[in-house]
Amino acid sequence: MTPTNTVTDLSKGKPSEPPIEILNNETARIYTHIHPVLVLSLYALRFKAIVADPVPALTNTLIPLGVMQIAFAAICLPPTGSEAVVAEKRKPGEKKKPGQGKVASAVNGKVIPAFLSLAISTLAATPILMLTLILFGAPISTHHWHTLLAAAHISLLAVVPLIYVHGVDGEKWREIVACLLPIDEVYGCLIGSVLGAWLGAVPIPLDWDREWQKWPVTIVTGAYIGFAVGKLVGGTLLKGKKIKFE
Amino acid sequence: MARQTLLFALANVLIPVAILVFATGFFPYKPFMPGLATFEELGWEDKFGWTEAPEPKFDKLVFMVVDALRSDFVYGKESGMEFVQSLIRDGSAIPFTAHATSPTITMPRVKAMTTGSIPSFLDVILNFAESDTSSTLAAQDTWLAQLKAKEGGKLVMYGDDTWLKLFPDFFARADGTSSFFVSDFTEVDNNVTRHVPEELLNTDWNAMIMHYLGLDHIGHKAGPRSPNMTPKQIEMDGIVQQIYQAIENEDHLSNTLFVLCGDHGMNEGGNHGGSAPGETSPALVFMSPKIKKITEFRERESPIDGKGEGGFEFYKKIEQSDIAPTLAGLLGFPVPRNNLGVFIEDFLFFWDDASDRIQLLLRNAKQMKKIVEATFPSLNFEDKVRDIEKECGGSLNSGVGLSCKWQGIVQIMDTTAMLHPKLRMDQIYWFSRAAQEIMSSTASNYDVPRLVLGSSIALVSFGLTLIALWPQLTSISSTGVFSTLTLALYGILMFASSYVEEEHHFWYWITSGWFMYLFIFESRKEWFRKFAFHPAIMLLAIHRIIRRWNQTGQKYAGAPDISHSAFLQGGNSLVLWSLVGATYMDITIRLSRHIARSIAYSTSENSAALSKVAGARDVEPEDTDKDRFMGTLAVLPLGVTAFVFKLAFTARDAPELVQGIGAGMLVFVEGLSLVGVARMVFVGLALSASWLGMVEWKMGRDKRKRGGSGGGGFAPALFDIITLLLITQTRAQNIPLYLLFRLQIFFLTLLSPTPLQTTLTTLLLTHVSFFALGNSNAISSIDLSNSYNGVSGYSILAVGLLVFISNWAGPIYWSLAGLLLLSGATSVSGTAAKVLDEREIAASSRTWVAQEREFLEKVVETESEQAKFLSDRKVEKRAWESWKRHVGLLTLFQAGALVAVMGACTVLRQHLFIWTVFSPKFLYAMAWGVGGHLGVSVLLGGVVWGAGRL
Repeated sequence: MTPTNTVTDLSKGKPSEPPIEILNNETARIYTHIHPVLVLSLYALRFKAIVADPVPALTNTLIPLGVMQIAFAAICLPPTGSEAVVAEKRKPGEKKKPGQGKVASAVNGKVIPAFLSLAISTLAATPILMLTLILFGAPISTHHWHTLLAAAHISLLAVVPLIYVHGVDGEKWREIVACLLPIDEVYGCLIGSVLGAWLGAVPIPLDWDREWQKWPVTIVTGAYIGFAVGKLVGGTLLKGKKIKFE
Repeated sequence: MARQTLLFALANVLIPVAILVFATGFFPYKPFMPGLATFEELGWEDKFGWTEAPEPKFDKLVFMVVDALRSDFVYGKESGMEFVQSLIRDGSAIPFTAHATSPTITMPRVKAMTTGSIPSFLDVILNFAESDTSSTLAAQDTWLAQLKAKEGGKLVMYGDDTWLKLFPDFFARADGTSSFFVSDFTEVDNNVTRHVPEELLNTDWNAMIMHYLGLDHIGHKAGPRSPNMTPKQIEMDGIVQQIYQAIENEDHLSNTLFVLCGDHGMNEGGNHGGSAPGETSPALVFMSPKIKKITEFRERESPIDGKGEGGFEFYKKIEQSDIAPTLAGLLGFPVPRNNLGVFIEDFLFFWDDASDRIQLLLRNAKQMKKIVEATFPSLNFEDKVRDIEKECGGSLNSGVGLSCKWQGIVQIMDTTAMLHPKLRMDQIYWFSRAAQEIMSSTASNYDVPRLVLGSSIALVSFGLTLIALWPQLTSISSTGVFSTLTLALYGILMFASSYVEEEHHFWYWITSGWFMYLFIFESRKEWFRKFAFHPAIMLLAIHRIIRRWNQTGQKYAGAPDISHSAFLQGGNSLVLWSLVGATYMDITIRLSRHIARSIAYSTSENSAALSKVAGARDVEPEDTDKDRFMGTLAVLPLGVTAFVFKLAFTARDAPELVQGIGAGMLVFVEGLSLVGVARMVFVGLALSASWLGMVEWKMGRDKRKRGGSGGGGFAPALFDIITLLLITQTRAQNIPLYLLFRLQIFFLTLLSPTPLQTTLTTLLLTHVSFFALGNSNAISSIDLSNSYNGVSGYSILAVGLLVFISNWAGPIYWSLAGLLLLSGATSVSGTAAKVLDEREIAASSRTWVAQEREFLEKVVETESEQAKFLSDRKVEKRAWESWKRHVGLLTLFQAGALVAVMGACTVLRQHLFIWTVFSPKFLYAMAWGVGGHLGVSVLLGGVVWGAGRL
């Protein structure tokens, strides 16, 4: 939620795990760049409907967004624990356990975690984000569905990939909240979406009398744009840097 | 560091200089022409056979002002003024909508109606400083002065005492009423009405002025749709009928002109000051049986629907300043010298002879020409015919255009051709209306070099502060970046008119982000197990309640909020008063502890004996139960008096807030003299402050003798005393906010932010609390209800101070609270523990409190260990250094904000909203800069900081 974080090289900070790398195959490398374009296109396509009547339009948009985020996670990201298996548990010389076929392992290893992260983020992260939105000034007595849906969108954008790569380990999430992880593509999504949603509140009081100034259109728009920017910057410019506060 | 001090001092001195220079360019003081106008030679006398001024049509005037009488209150279909409407249908009345220019508050409007001039924005300030003699109209030419100067001229006045202040010693008989309590709907008006029958029988006056305030009060209290509104209109209608019938029946009143008008209107919230259509459209009706002569062929339908935006435009729209020349013509006196109004065309038909009509208009035009000439001294406004084809072709700037139009009058008056009189009159109107428009348009009045100079001085002040702070700024920290972002964004938003109106959203928004930042910042150090109850999250939650307390700004004004919810009002006012009582109790208990501490000290017979205890440099005498009892006993009367004052004041000012209180209690408090009780509170506060100050000083002296460092107990004590003063100056429904503020202080102490974070927190919360208490950047939101607490007469200094305190109560509170936090953050002798009340912790059994306390104690311990290595002088010096940095950063923001506001006012000086949005913002910026920054942050802050080092 901090709009301004100074960054320094990882080497100067505490030694910590490296940033998340995109899976090392051609599809992943290509899709990771297509994905934000797809997400933004989806939002641009639905924008008019969302402005006209936010609740049904935002609800309908959740499904394609969820599918996209699952696809992104499954295609491009290493599922939670995979690094650990690769880096620590496999002793030199030890071989992979034979057994499941390629398709089955792909389903078990990727799609299931992806769906799990989707479920967890909607069930756990959305209410927390909704409360946060209310604490930040969202209407408390009206517009409940609007706020809930805004929270759901932010959590799909920001939290799904994070749960997919990091799981639900409490310690890990503490580090995420405290901005202690090194920046990477996935963490960039979170910081970008949340900052974008926060900055999205700025145009609301302006007297332009536009339809899109109504709650929660600007917040959701900010989150989408922030998502794309955060993902891009996190995956390139600031990759591996750590947020430094002092 | 002497260089830094010098730079800071210079920067702070430059702030008021910049404000002053800019203000003189932005609100130029309009020189007025002194002396009374006389009938002067017009020229062309022989040609038109003029020997004297046109014969007056009336010899007496009844001028009835109903404050905030919006056009639709008289002309609309829901109006209760049926008699006036019947007069309009009958043809005995001519209705108008009289356009009132911003600022739509009473004093400038009265000036416009009586002098015919367009009062400058400066009059807003003078409106609040009414006794200022330069703003009186005693020396100016008005229709009152003209009527008084007439043979046998005698004026009487009943109603709003603004008139008495504007026209000292003008009236033979007068009874002024002041709008002391807005809740008074009847008494203020009865005070006027009771004089009416008697005065209608008197034959000695030639002008009677009445100014009714009740309708405005209803508007302020409950808006234009209040159930009280129609009965009040019916009451006013009855008075009109009474006077009109007297005019019809009494011989000595037969030549009386009766004018009914509003000085301004009101918006949908019932407030005024800006330039919404509702605020600028008051009604204006001329009534007399003689008027029938000229209304034969007029449209006389009534009631009708309004036109224009908001539907407030009824009948013909004229300028409010047109009243003065029209009265001059009708009653036969010279047009007041500074008049910029134009004679209303409809009344010309009173004179059958066209040459009389031309003479009237020409007199009006000549008088205006003098002002035009004075404004454009280089242009030719002579009464001689000359060739103007060359200079008057093509598009012209305002001055040349006027000079050409005047020459047009000269030519058409001079020509020997037989012309229809209408042509001459049209030419004169063409000039007069153009002159009115150009002279009253403010754009031509800016002194741009001064605007630029003022902005530049503010920029220099900003630069000096930046240079002084530079060594500290070079190391980048995230807090510093956040501060920079705050200032930069604020500066940008000052150029957006809607963000000026909705400034509170910016502060609420950035503060939410800041508390979340603090949460993340703290989480990096140590993860808090029950993170939902983390102090920073609690701060955020309280902030969410605070920002909802008062709905402010323009866009959502009047939307539901906590202070106007059913939860606190009407039958539930007991809830409100429990919260108010709790706030008073909290402060009383705090004060009693300070007093107990002081009693403990002064009763411990030989405090020197303490020094014998080894290593007891900082030991203070423990307060015993007896001391505590004595302390409570000493403070209780003060707390109770303050509370009773608030109750008694509210019972009169806002009766809807005390409905749930027992009737017996109310009868008791209503019997009290408010001035006396308020004085008791102020004196009590002063006594407590001086007693505590004396004891703490002694205590500190003794401690220093023993080699310890200063006591530091006086700063929190002074803070509590000032808080009680602030609460006394706050409206009852806002007092519970101070409980929430107190909770925020508590949670901030748990966070123990760094000095820089403390400064930024102070800056944010001063602004948040300003808006949360219901203020905005609009003139109409200034709260004047507490401005006369303890003041019986009018004293500009006392009233001004009280107005400032009651509107800036939140910022004052947080500037001082910020200092206490700062002393906690920078202390080396454990002041943090003192500020953070230990008993408060003991009372609470929550785990996080205990945890945080342990942490805090650890911090304090390490700090006191460090302290041992520092000599006292060094400690002292470090304390002042940190205060200086704190003030320096605040100065940086203040100067930056001023640069932004001045820049916006300079760049956007032709903007449509300059007088409605940016000028009020500049007035607020002035108050923030001089009062909020220099007065509170620097001076009062310095005193409190010094008090902490006694």
